[in-house]
Amino acid sequence: MIGNDLVDLDLAKMQSNWRRKGYLDKIFTPAEQELINTSNGADETVWILWSMKEAVYKIHNRITGVRNFAPTSLACCLTQSNDKITGLVCIGDQIYFTETTTSASYVHTIAAPLFNQLSNIVIEIYAEPNHPIDYKSLAPGCVSHHGRYLALVYG
Amino acid sequence: MSNEEIINKLKPIITTYAPVSDALDNLNEESDFIKDLNINSANLVDIILDVEEEFGITIDNTSMEKMLTVSASIEVIKEKLSEK
Repeated sequence: MIGNDLVDLDLAKMQSNWRRKGYLDKIFTPAEQELINTSNGADETVWILWSMKEAVYKIHNRITGVRNFAPTSLACCLTQSNDKITGLVCIGDQIYFTETTTSASYVHTIAAPLFNQLSNIVIEIYAEPNHPIDYKSLAPGCVSHHGRYLALVYG
Repeated sequence: MSNEEIINKLKPIITTYAPVSDALDNLNEESDFIKDLNINSANLVDIILDVEEEFGITIDNTSMEKMLTVSASIEVIKEKLSEK
């Protein structure tokens, strides 16, 4: 089982004011807030961590059948190398692995329960107006749609 | 506060973050913020912060977990109001 989440940064800027009082406390653990506050690009770090949580939630929710809104229960660690942002997300006694790519206009994370699965995931990102008409027929492993972008992953 | 009074206070908050839709026009206790109202999950936090301000309550993370529907939100709001 695989997960993915894309954040359209232009839309996120319009939709969400994460600097609002109390906002970070409801989503991020103290350790994650420390990462955000000490980061050179706080905006990007917020959406990297958010997309990690969302991508993992999409797997965890399907495995457990539990639907809830508990972003602080998904605890992210980043292990950044040169060109890839890899990470771990822990929820309860489960660990998931993530890999995030960023561009000037979006942040995209893929997630899997096993580290080795990440390298087998095929990613297709479509920008409007080039979305496939009937993407469900492509039977992606996970779908993420935000703003101008549609991200399909196969694993 | 009755469920109806709570919904009347919730409606303008929800309308701020939900795209225009029939589901929003027909907002009721069964409405699901994400599945029915198409609210972006990052904006659920804004709804919760707005609810805290509007009702003068504090919503802990355990209560927030449940707040995916209007009815679950009403329950949390009533519980927190009764603790005031």
